[in-house]
Amino acid sequence: MTPTETAATERLARGRTYRRLMFGSVLAGVAAGFALRYLDYPLLGEGVYWLGIVGFLAVWRGTSTTLFDERDVALERRASQLTLLLFAVVLVVGASAARLLPLFGSGTVPPAVRGALYGYAALFAAFGVVYVWLRASA
Amino acid sequence: MKNALRDRRERESMSQADLAAAVGVTRQTINAIERERYDPSLELAFELAAYFDCRIEDLFDAELDGNSRQSSRNGA
Repeated sequence: MTPTETAATERLARGRTYRRLMFGSVLAGVAAGFALRYLDYPLLGEGVYWLGIVGFLAVWRGTSTTLFDERDVALERRASQLTLLLFAVVLVVGASAARLLPLFGSGTVPPAVRGALYGYAALFAAFGVVYVWLRASA
Repeated sequence: MKNALRDRRERESMSQADLAAAVGVTRQTINAIERERYDPSLELAFELAAYFDCRIEDLFDAELDGNSRQSSRNGA
């Protein structure tokens, strides 16, 4: 390999290490936070959780190394689209079911489910706003 | 998209990792392009063509169907 290619290989390896650090930091923070809350140290658990999040952000924003290549970005975009589609189906069917259940006397929708449906609706409203904003600024 | 990336790479006796390092993407991306599971961006396609010192059309075959070709000619 030429010196340029060697440098590029090192850059890619560094990117891989930083990615592991980022996601490892979040995973460790979430796991340790959960364990500490379970052991009745809620404040310490919350602190460790935020430490994990800050670790993620520090690596993500603090390095000039490219952490994701274009295929990673394309995969992320595709995953986001599929997730939105999945939740759109859940919202359309779920909202209709939530309206119909009381009409047929089959009980009421639990508040948690109703809250989740409103949450999904808010998510799609936010998507619409962001879409319009991007279209206007593109 | 059909492409001659594997042929070109093997002709140069390069591994996927070598090529990936040379154009600044991961080995998985080169593998996905070779297996026609991922179409590279225009920027990466130019980068690959420049690396092999050839034209993009020598590396990639868009396989445009009749309608697409017509649309391209009409600027649509």
